[in-house]
Amino acid sequence: MSRITLEKVCKSYGAHGVLHDIDLDIEDGEFVVFVGPSGCGKSTLLRQIAGLDRPTSGDIRIDGKLVNSVPAADRGLAMVFQSYALYPHMSVRQNLAFGLENARMPRAEIDKRIAEAARMLEIGDYLGRRPGQLSGGQRQRVAIGRAIVRNPTAFLLDEPLSNLDAELRISMRAELSALHDRLKTTMIYVTHDQIEAMTLASRIVVLRKGRVEQVGTPLDLYNRPANRFVAGFIGAPSMNFVKGSVVEVGEAATSVSLMGTTVALPRPAAGAVAGQTVSVGLRPQHISLAGDGEAGVPVEVALVEALGSETVIHSRTATGERLQAVLAGQHALRTGENVRLSFAPDDLHLFDEGGLRLA
Amino acid sequence: MSNRHEGKEALPASRLSGLMMVPVKAVMQVVDVPLRAWQRLTGLTGMASFFLLPNMAVFGIFVLVPFVINFVYSMTGGSEIFLAQRFYVGAAQYRDIFDCRSYLDPSSCVEDGFWVSARNTALFVVVQVTLMILVALITALVLNREIIGRSFWRAVFFFPVLLSPVVVGLIWRWILQRQGLLNLVLYDLFGFEPYSWLTDRNAAFAAAVGVTIWARVGFFALILLAGLQAIPKDLYEAAEMDGTRRTRVFFRITLPLLMPNLIVVLVLGLIRSVQVFDEAYVLTGGGPGTSTMYLTQYIYEKGFASDLRDPGLAAAASILMGAVLVVLTLVQMAASRRNEKQGER
Repeated sequence: MSRITLEKVCKSYGAHGVLHDIDLDIEDGEFVVFVGPSGCGKSTLLRQIAGLDRPTSGDIRIDGKLVNSVPAADRGLAMVFQSYALYPHMSVRQNLAFGLENARMPRAEIDKRIAEAARMLEIGDYLGRRPGQLSGGQRQRVAIGRAIVRNPTAFLLDEPLSNLDAELRISMRAELSALHDRLKTTMIYVTHDQIEAMTLASRIVVLRKGRVEQVGTPLDLYNRPANRFVAGFIGAPSMNFVKGSVVEVGEAATSVSLMGTTVALPRPAAGAVAGQTVSVGLRPQHISLAGDGEAGVPVEVALVEALGSETVIHSRTATGERLQAVLAGQHALRTGENVRLSFAPDDLHLFDEGGLRLA
Repeated sequence: MSNRHEGKEALPASRLSGLMMVPVKAVMQVVDVPLRAWQRLTGLTGMASFFLLPNMAVFGIFVLVPFVINFVYSMTGGSEIFLAQRFYVGAAQYRDIFDCRSYLDPSSCVEDGFWVSARNTALFVVVQVTLMILVALITALVLNREIIGRSFWRAVFFFPVLLSPVVVGLIWRWILQRQGLLNLVLYDLFGFEPYSWLTDRNAAFAAAVGVTIWARVGFFALILLAGLQAIPKDLYEAAEMDGTRRTRVFFRITLPLLMPNLIVVLVLGLIRSVQVFDEAYVLTGGGPGTSTMYLTQYIYEKGFASDLRDPGLAAAASILMGAVLVVLTLVQMAASRRNEKQGER
């Protein structure tokens, strides 16, 4: 178990800054997911924590102890690599034992730990095989097993599921979650897949261009994104953004004009002023077909994706805005058809022109 | 719009290729009928053999026929070059070569020159190949690191490979001879008296070994460097997380993963080392005495250069050397197959 603290961590390669002033406090036993688009610095950040790379400035502490200059092996952490990084010329058993042999652990203890990990991960049947003789999922388990036998204070996982097919990824995701529940060890997980982040994390750290955009629980990020980037990144399909302008700011409500109509948000928009141009966010799942007599935004259907349990429609409003909606169930809609879409004002998110959340 | 535009550009190209196809089509029409008839007659395998004929002819004329002629020569005696003037001796040349009281003592053999050169070659092969692999490995390991001017150093180590072996021999003879560059430098720097590096048995052997290593190490280092670069960096990072010492990383990760390349280097190095001739011959001429005379030089001198020329004996010796090379080639092929199978796992 360990608590990991990052204070003003920066990393640059020459003049190129990759991480900028990262402050983060990871609690004991947490499952924290670093998520962000490719090149945002999430793997680089994980490597700083692992000790495979040194920060240009700032401090990394594990259980309060400064570890900036502590070698990777002495930080008490274990890492699972994206490519698994299993030694191809060694058997599964040798792969699991390798790190323990380095620590000159007694053979009996090594065998005991391997047996325990093999039982936990159900890899006992292929301890004698080489990684090349295993499927992707089996290799993944071995890579996790190699981390488990070291009995680390925290696991670092660098996109461990990205090489698996979609079906296996879903089952391994559930297994990882169960493993965390069982081990109750701190886990830091890197992914670019926001669904993985949402399903696994106790807290998510959203990164962009080497900066932390928001830290919070999955539902915090979904319900109250701190900025337009987080709002667009978390949730699938992505949030719709339409142009709007503030009509009136009250103590309990904010009126906004958008898509040719005026809507009253039942909450104040701190810092907003009447006439201000804003970006209004609306999740596709929060849009429905307007019923007879119900107010709604008229749109023309551009594309219909019938997925069985839900229907995704891509549409265009009279003012030229694009709206994507996820409608529960099956709907007999056709391309070119005119329909009206409705939404609850409470589900709208307001962002200023700089992308920061107003309400 | 864009499709029409693409079509306009594509038209001249298709016209050109259409024009170029005219003579090809004409030839095809001419040969089509007889080829089809032939295929009906000989079947698919027969046709395949027919198309392989040009290559087989080149191989036959320049490799197989000389090999057979060489074998016939090894069954004949006399000092005449032309086969018609030679007489059949059966396996006498081979019997002469193997006529020894003790194979460990060349002077007890009828053909002591063969055994002296065979012993020299064996010693040369063991020392040269061992040292060359070691130097190539160290060179590759250094060139694989993030050193300043890495590309420049790679070129520097590979440059001697591009030189003709005779040029290599000449360069080093100018350096190592009594009035050579090395003695001049040693005298100027330390006041050492000139030393005859190429007329001392041990120094001449060391020179032959050193020069051939210098000339070839770049090639073998390149093969090992390719192997080193194929080892994923992740493995080293995993080893770092596992707290693996540097020596253990080398012996437990780098070396086993480099083994396929090392086997290639070993076998190719052995084959080239057994065939050593040019550099050593130009450098030492086989001397002092016969201390650096290797098998190829023995064969050359017996067949062409010596006063007591014996082409039959030279042919028999080359057949025996060829047998050794065939064994080494088979070892390389077996090793390559084994590696391929391991790679598939």
